[in-house]
Amino acid sequence: MSSITKQTLEHLAKLARLKLDPKEEEKLTQDLAKILDHFKELEGLDTSNVAPMSGGTQLKNVFREDEERENTNRGAGIEQFPEKQDGFLRVPPVFE
Amino acid sequence: MKLLQNLTIKKFHDGLLKKEFSALEMAQAFFAHIKKTDPHINAYLSLDEAGAMRRAEAVDLAVAKDESVGVLAGVPLALKDNILIKGQPATAASKILGHYTASYDAGVIQKLNNEQAVFLGKTNLDEFAMGSSTENSAFGTVKNPHDTSRVPGGSSGGSTAAVAAHMAVAALGSDTGGSIRQPASFCGVVGLKPTYGAVSRSGLIAMCSSLDQIGPITKTAEDAAILFKAIVGKDSLDATSAPTAYGEELLNPKLENVKRLVVGLPEEYFVDGLDPKVRAGVDMAIEKIKSLGLKFKKISLPHTKYALSCYYIVMPAEVSSNLARFDGIRYARDERLKTENLKLNDIYFKTKGEGFGAETKRRIILGTFVLSSGYYDAYYEKAQRVRTLIKNDFENAFKQVDVILTPVAPTPAFKIGEKANDPISMYLSDIFTIPANLAGIPGISIPIKPYAYPNTSQELPVGFQLLGKWWREADLLGIGQFYDKLEPLEPAS
Repeated sequence: MSSITKQTLEHLAKLARLKLDPKEEEKLTQDLAKILDHFKELEGLDTSNVAPMSGGTQLKNVFREDEERENTNRGAGIEQFPEKQDGFLRVPPVFE
Repeated sequence: MKLLQNLTIKKFHDGLLKKEFSALEMAQAFFAHIKKTDPHINAYLSLDEAGAMRRAEAVDLAVAKDESVGVLAGVPLALKDNILIKGQPATAASKILGHYTASYDAGVIQKLNNEQAVFLGKTNLDEFAMGSSTENSAFGTVKNPHDTSRVPGGSSGGSTAAVAAHMAVAALGSDTGGSIRQPASFCGVVGLKPTYGAVSRSGLIAMCSSLDQIGPITKTAEDAAILFKAIVGKDSLDATSAPTAYGEELLNPKLENVKRLVVGLPEEYFVDGLDPKVRAGVDMAIEKIKSLGLKFKKISLPHTKYALSCYYIVMPAEVSSNLARFDGIRYARDERLKTENLKLNDIYFKTKGEGFGAETKRRIILGTFVLSSGYYDAYYEKAQRVRTLIKNDFENAFKQVDVILTPVAPTPAFKIGEKANDPISMYLSDIFTIPANLAGIPGISIPIKPYAYPNTSQELPVGFQLLGKWWREADLLGIGQFYDKLEPLEPAS
């Protein structure tokens, strides 16, 4: 386990598409150091024979018939599109 | 005001049927009281007077025609602002959703619509339900109605403050690591976090999908049972919601059954750092419950101390995925960014950078870190294994006992600003509530009498917590309802 350097933080912010100003970066570096330090307590706990719990549900599988169904929310959200054209979402170019 | 003060769902329903008041009169009385009181509390982010009046009139019409109406008909409720009501704002107390209008009704709203409940408005919270004080709201901190220099707890602090200040008969909140129970304790109201999967999460703005649950915030355990029963059940729009059968025992528990329950006291929850007032209050509650005839037993939940670290890895990981959708492309783009020439990445970085608050950014970065290549095994997978150990602790404990009694939080409500700059100290205020979310079991916070009476004591409210077996909310609500009867909301005079 390690701490987060300025370089790592910038990489993480890029992955998360998050713009951080220098003041935010400084505070985050300090906070994350404290938080990661707290996590060190887990290092001493042996979990080698424990299966990971991957979610909250105890349900095994949830099936439904593969048949046509009425989608009650069809079209919901279109009115929230920031830019639209002919009922479609308009987005800036993805490839440049 | 007097009328609103000790008003419960039960009393509202009785009064409505006896025609002591109309639903419309009550809705008007609540809005008048909110307008007078809320400028000092900041519990509500938006009100829906027109919608509330329309619903109330429909209920009055049904009552006038002697049609049968349900127990929630006309009851004025407050909804945490991360729960969607079609056509209403749903900000999650974030600037990024400041102009968002919900496109559909949450599963719980559909159910409450069928019950003809009245929705007064949407309540304040920590941004995206991330916090323990509501200080992370982009729209101002909520003040604790018992002492306005203190926080109401969080993240459902707006909902608990609204109920505590009689600005709603009851409310819904959401609980990911204690966000219903901890503010319920701070505000002196009842708060129930249901079993994971009992209540649909459809239309709840997702924070941590494997932990989030919607639950009731009320003045009495009986009201919590009524509201809980109304919102449970399988919803095809939430694949993790389970087909559940909650019977009559929720609403009409029998003392002979409740008396047979064995209550566990886990040594790991009664630690030195506990505020003396919390300790004394919990001891009082234990004595009261003993007087009902229940047996107590000391137990151990040995992995409790790892729960906080486990939670602060699992939760940010899911947060970083869930909040990725707020990218300014499909909704929530700032007006200033609506120009033809902005590049895709500029929209992403600016929308998120300017729209999210400090705690949200902290959790997105932390979550991105624990999921990133090279760190996944050491943090995220490790935490998932620890989560199993915490769940196993409860499974083992429930072989010996039926319910577990603990404090809700280490302290009563703290001062506004006291913990705002120290994330670890803030995170520690959820230390007793987090394990239930990780394991998926139900938990309830019940105000300890007499701390709960705002006008008879200067003490700050404190709650005690009951944790139950999966799907056994009835045990928690049963004990709660008999505990309430020992010292009712309105002492007999």
